[in-house]
Amino acid sequence: MHKKFLFLLSIFIIAGVLLAACQPAQTAAEEPAAEEPAAETVEEEAVSEDPAAVAASLPREETLYFNGQQWGSVVCWNPYSSNCNNAMALAQQDNARVTMFETPYLYDMLDGKVYPLLADGDYAWDAGMTQITFKINSAAHWSDGTPVTAEDVAYTWATHVKYNTQFGAANKAYIDTIEAPDASTVVVKAVLGEDGKALNPLLVQAYLSSNYVIQKAWTEALEARTNGDAAALMADIAEDAVFSGPYHKFFTDDTKVVMIRDDNYWGQDSSMFGKLPVPKYLAHVIYKDNAAGTTALQAGEVDVSQQFNSNVQDLWLKDNLPISTYLPEAPYNIGASLPTAFFNMASYGLDQVAVRKAIAIAVDYDTIISNAMTNQSATFTQVPRSLMNPTPGEQALFDHDAVADLQWAGKDIEGANKLLDDAGIVDTDGDGWREYDGKKLQYIATCPNGWSDWQAAIEVVAAAGKEIGIDITTNYPEWSVYQTVVTNWPLPETGYDIFMMWSDGAGPTQPWGRIRHLLSSEFAQTTNNWNGNWGGYKNADADALIQEIPTLTDATALKADYTELVKIYLTDVPSFTLMYRPQAFHTVNESVWTNFPHEGDGTSPAVPPLDLTDGWSIAGLYNLTLVK
Amino acid sequence: MKTALQQVFHSRKFVTGFAIFMAILLTVFLYPLIIQDEPLAILGQGNFFPPGIYVNIYDSIHSKSYVLNLKDAASKRIGKILTDQSRQDIKEWLVSYGVPEDQIDINDTESLLSQWEENYDSSISLPGMTFAKQRYFQRLDESVNGLLSSEGVVISEVNQETGNLDQTNTIDQSEYVHINEVANVRILPLGTDNFGRDVLTELVKATGVSLKIGLIAGVVATLIGLTLGLLSGYVGGLVDDIIMFVTNLFTVIPSFVLLILISFSIGQDNRGATTIAVVIGLTSWVWTARAVRSQVISLRNRDHVNLSKLSGHSTAHIILNDILPYIASYVVMALILQVSSAILSEASLSILGLGPRTTEVPTLGLMMNWAMIYQAHILGKWWAYFPVIVVIALITFSMNLMNTGLDQVFNPTLRD
Repeated sequence: MHKKFLFLLSIFIIAGVLLAACQPAQTAAEEPAAEEPAAETVEEEAVSEDPAAVAASLPREETLYFNGQQWGSVVCWNPYSSNCNNAMALAQQDNARVTMFETPYLYDMLDGKVYPLLADGDYAWDAGMTQITFKINSAAHWSDGTPVTAEDVAYTWATHVKYNTQFGAANKAYIDTIEAPDASTVVVKAVLGEDGKALNPLLVQAYLSSNYVIQKAWTEALEARTNGDAAALMADIAEDAVFSGPYHKFFTDDTKVVMIRDDNYWGQDSSMFGKLPVPKYLAHVIYKDNAAGTTALQAGEVDVSQQFNSNVQDLWLKDNLPISTYLPEAPYNIGASLPTAFFNMASYGLDQVAVRKAIAIAVDYDTIISNAMTNQSATFTQVPRSLMNPTPGEQALFDHDAVADLQWAGKDIEGANKLLDDAGIVDTDGDGWREYDGKKLQYIATCPNGWSDWQAAIEVVAAAGKEIGIDITTNYPEWSVYQTVVTNWPLPETGYDIFMMWSDGAGPTQPWGRIRHLLSSEFAQTTNNWNGNWGGYKNADADALIQEIPTLTDATALKADYTELVKIYLTDVPSFTLMYRPQAFHTVNESVWTNFPHEGDGTSPAVPPLDLTDGWSIAGLYNLTLVK
Repeated sequence: MKTALQQVFHSRKFVTGFAIFMAILLTVFLYPLIIQDEPLAILGQGNFFPPGIYVNIYDSIHSKSYVLNLKDAASKRIGKILTDQSRQDIKEWLVSYGVPEDQIDINDTESLLSQWEENYDSSISLPGMTFAKQRYFQRLDESVNGLLSSEGVVISEVNQETGNLDQTNTIDQSEYVHINEVANVRILPLGTDNFGRDVLTELVKATGVSLKIGLIAGVVATLIGLTLGLLSGYVGGLVDDIIMFVTNLFTVIPSFVLLILISFSIGQDNRGATTIAVVIGLTSWVWTARAVRSQVISLRNRDHVNLSKLSGHSTAHIILNDILPYIASYVVMALILQVSSAILSEASLSILGLGPRTTEVPTLGLMMNWAMIYQAHILGKWWAYFPVIVVIALITFSMNLMNTGLDQVFNPTLRD
């Protein structure tokens, strides 16, 4: 028996050793293969300039370095895909990234207007509000030298619809067709509502500044090689993509992304920028985390930083580095989005307005802003809460006096306690916690693990609960779990009572788009919901107003509707904003380059602080000069 | 027993280690009795306030004032703002603006500042000057504004009835307050952390929690190791084979990797301090088991054990009465090492973000974790992490010292 046992043990151990031995054997087999590309590289170098060699030591005075955009290595260069993880080249959004591919118009978040890029002159709605017409700039041409035509715009849309890309799916309820009556004229036909006018003119307009124009010939080549298979078309890495923008792929690996200027870029035509953008290379080293990015920024290895650098003012006040932000003082950047805590309407007691509002007014927002955001957000005394971001354009859209009584600045423990007492939600069994209908009010506040500023904010929310007799504890699941849970209704019974998500920033459809995502019941209690209203709030009045606003042209009526929506939001409190956050962080180091956009820099139209890559901020690339 | 204790306390190493450990333990118990703040209360609005004494400005204004005519008060006030560097910078600006260099005397504060006031205009952008530098001069201009004034500061209050500002007080430059007469003075010996919490209060609480984690983990690990070691060593045979097979398996797998995997899989909502302690204990018993086993094997054929067997005592009785006492000193030493390594394990786990759930209780590892997330090490906020490292080092150092002391007493080969 004993011997048998030992024998069995030995067998196990030998098997284990053998299995383990397989591993190195495979590696050994792979090794020679790994050497081959290296050999090729050497040959190429001899023939022409090898990107890898150049990228290894880019000329500093011709390269603009970024951080905070690209995390992990690039997957593809395909403008039809939404999973390329290619932050330097691809982002079709409110402020579209126009380094490689271009949109007809560029949005400027500072004045809320759009300026023509591929388009020539302004776009125009027809008298009946059914279609938009605009011209294509005759100077615009692709990287292969062929002109950009209206047919390209039409074919791009047709492809989005045919293969149901993310961009097609998001817009096809509002855009019917895009047609090209001649080579330079584009007609965008809207889906019409019952009144015979465009169902949602805002979203139709927004398409023109948020979606790329892609070359028809290249798209046809792509379709041919993927045999009309939608999944294959969107998964294609598209390294051969024909583009119209000023930069394109030079080199990528898992440590960096480098784009190089196209010296034949059409934008040097006098009808557009009149010259080429200044830096020859745009480079983004892939950093491990924010701390590594900050260190690189301090060392002058990064010129434009799009990441949260905590206590950013220390970089110039204490370290005396040539670093600055868009604004000289806190909040240092222009707040554009509103990170928000949502109430799960299905949680016990959170269907009661009194409970929701009590929690919201008890929270100490000043501590969130000073400690979690290190003052990189305006306070709620500076910009009282509403549904609008702090930009002057949005702030002008509602009647401040009409909602003043409903707004709160936070830390109002007395008011919160009174609200709960008046609603009859009191502590009946003397354990220090309030009960609703005999059941203790007990919630978990949550946000993804590792999102440090959000975590710190959620801690402050939980602390407020303890002050008003509501037991709030915190929990931080991993993002992979968190995102699946909050985007799929119903939320679990516990664990997600109060949870943080984002809301829209600045863009051509804002603030309407943000309000829709916060309040509209079209997203309430749905699955695979990446839009908003994750708490499941429903209000027919709000829905009616949200539907009406895009069709309004009268400023007074518009203001009345927005004011009404703010009133509903502040009365019902389905969610509450915890801080203001910039559209993009924009911290620059002037060790090598200077003349970055900053407040009062005299540019007209003003270049927004969006890292010189998004929307109208790309114009900033033409103003850069070297520090002597 | 008594002589053993006497011997132990004659070991200088043990006594030093014991004293350090006791000092830490006493602080953990006594500190909360004196400073009764919540360890996790958020005091500061803003992060990483430096260590020091904080005096309430509002209360200072309303405190009794003493006039002290100190000779160097004005020059100190000026020197705080107008450093040698900023004098150089002012000169640099003036020169590049066009003021002849020989007309500038950077040591003559009055003339330097009047030249500055005369020429500086924040809207002027000198050629070749970066924007960061322009902002630097704007800030410098603001800070030197009124620097040479000998006037006091006027304190005004809003009149509730009229809404006007009524002057209530003026404060001269030579007025002082006695710090004891200011109602609110707060000493933050170690400043605040990223949440604005008092680091010292938090650190004391965290030390307590970490010691608790260490103790639970140490006891769990030692109990498992001891039981398995005793059984395996004394019973032998198949039992020994099985136990040693399992033990060897655990020896091969690095216990820290196991710890990471287990902590990750139980998920954050279940990771309380006690759970983490138990998990650490469950993964670190291996070498105790092996060592106890080898000790027991050498003991089991001694005469007194055989005698006990012949007397018909049960296995449990023999293990408890005839074997355990002989390895007791060794077990105590093993326990001490287990406790100190468990404290280190908790710190390593928490730094990876796999420690106990944040903000219910602080632990040493969590304090390090948050300091790192908020980049204290990059920004030079040493007080947020360095004291934590010192405490961890002191705890493990004192325990290892005690262990070495014990070893010298109980291990015959090491005796002097």
